[in-house]
Amino acid sequence: MSGKYRRNNNKGTGKKILILIFVLISLFCIIFFAARGRFKVPVAQQVVSVVLTPFQGAISWVGSQLNYVTSNIWELATMHEQNKMLRNEVEQLRIQNLHASEYDAENQRLRALLGYKQTATQFDLVAARVIGRESATWSSVIEINRGTRDGVDVDMAVVTEKGLVGHVIEAGPTSAKVQLLLDPRSSVGTLVQRADSRVAGIVEGDMDNPTMPRMVNIPKTSDVDEGDVVVTSGFGGIYPKGLNVGTVAEMRNDEGGLLKIAVLEPAVDFQKLEDVMVITASREAPPEPLKTPMQTPGTETDPAAQAAEQAAAANGDADSSSDSSSSSSSDGSADSGEGSAQ
Amino acid sequence: MKNAGATALLVIILYALQTSILPLIAYHGVTADLMLLFVTSTAFLKGARVGALSGFAVGVLQDIASGTFLGVNAFTRVLIGFCVGKFSDQVFKEQVFLPVFASLLVTTVNYFILALLMILLGYRFNLMGHMQYTLLPMLIYQLAFAYPVHHLAYELDKRYGKKA
Repeated sequence: MSGKYRRNNNKGTGKKILILIFVLISLFCIIFFAARGRFKVPVAQQVVSVVLTPFQGAISWVGSQLNYVTSNIWELATMHEQNKMLRNEVEQLRIQNLHASEYDAENQRLRALLGYKQTATQFDLVAARVIGRESATWSSVIEINRGTRDGVDVDMAVVTEKGLVGHVIEAGPTSAKVQLLLDPRSSVGTLVQRADSRVAGIVEGDMDNPTMPRMVNIPKTSDVDEGDVVVTSGFGGIYPKGLNVGTVAEMRNDEGGLLKIAVLEPAVDFQKLEDVMVITASREAPPEPLKTPMQTPGTETDPAAQAAEQAAAANGDADSSSDSSSSSSSDGSADSGEGSAQ
Repeated sequence: MKNAGATALLVIILYALQTSILPLIAYHGVTADLMLLFVTSTAFLKGARVGALSGFAVGVLQDIASGTFLGVNAFTRVLIGFCVGKFSDQVFKEQVFLPVFASLLVTTVNYFILALLMILLGYRFNLMGHMQYTLLPMLIYQLAFAYPVHHLAYELDKRYGKKA
């Protein structure tokens, strides 16, 4: 009896292990297909996102309230000391304020003199709050409380006032997932902002140092120094040109020895990411009006003058008696055209 | 049915906590993995079959919700749920310290399976440096959160497990 039971039990365990091996092999295949973008579950992602977003929103709100309360309690505890420091600070600030008023007046004058205008806003932005952050060791993804209903869509760049955060990888109706610059799967086309360098490279997340991305594919002889500011190049179509990515903190040699790697201090503090902005549309800055280039004397060409010359020639055919006068008038119009061009 | 509903609710709340509150106390972006702790506790309390099933469900949820490499969490959690469940048949289920300390071993195993998968996917990294940055802080967080999560799983099992 017990032998039969044991046989049945062994048979059950063997079946379980077979099922487990089948599941593990299936998952193994899914991992590799999904990593190469050949397997996606968009419907399941939408459903999970819709179910989880209210919970994440509520708990995030509770967290922010707790944070607010604890910071208030801490402030109360340190109020006396703070009071002393603030009195000193007020004295110093009064003095500084006088200087600042002077600088303000000077600044206004200089602005008026230079005809300085605020740069036209190039981007349509949607403000969003971070409601979730995946603490996975291998990837860096945040969840924001704006989705397709607010105009947010996949592959839109996400920024703060300090610089680039990442881009949207999934967009649900009320929330979206943003792959941070720090994610090892992320790659951003960039270039060094310094005018005499302009070296292009790709910024990607670094698994060895999850808080500092790195700029790769830099030729060994290229001019990149520590402290250089790195901005987006605009290649690739996701990130608009000119967004601040970070500052070069360290230069290293690539393992192959032919290239260099720049370790970047990101412009954005990813540990304190609370509010972000999604770029829903971006426009290039209006181009400068075209100016006619300087022309070598004696070889000037001017479309208006040439048209006038042709019209004069046509008139000359009609009225053949005034050949010399028409040629002199075309010379005169060419002269006037050059003048206006200049 | 009630048991499944309560478990699903607990998993969703744990996931929301993990992604919304725990980042406030994260160290270099690393916090406790409450879902892994939940799978470990469930496997200890319910055995290999339920452990592997809960590992699969929780892993798939985490993969889909987090936007990470699809399937990696499901893979590791199925394996861990099954192995921990097999081991749990030989221990006294009422005691608390074993699941709590087992969470350290489970987290380490989970880390190395994930590291191996990343290498197979073609990502290269310095293992020692990465362990220092991520595994060590995570172990401390896991130790701190293992008991509360195990207690929740235990209470859930006590309340609904026998009825089901």
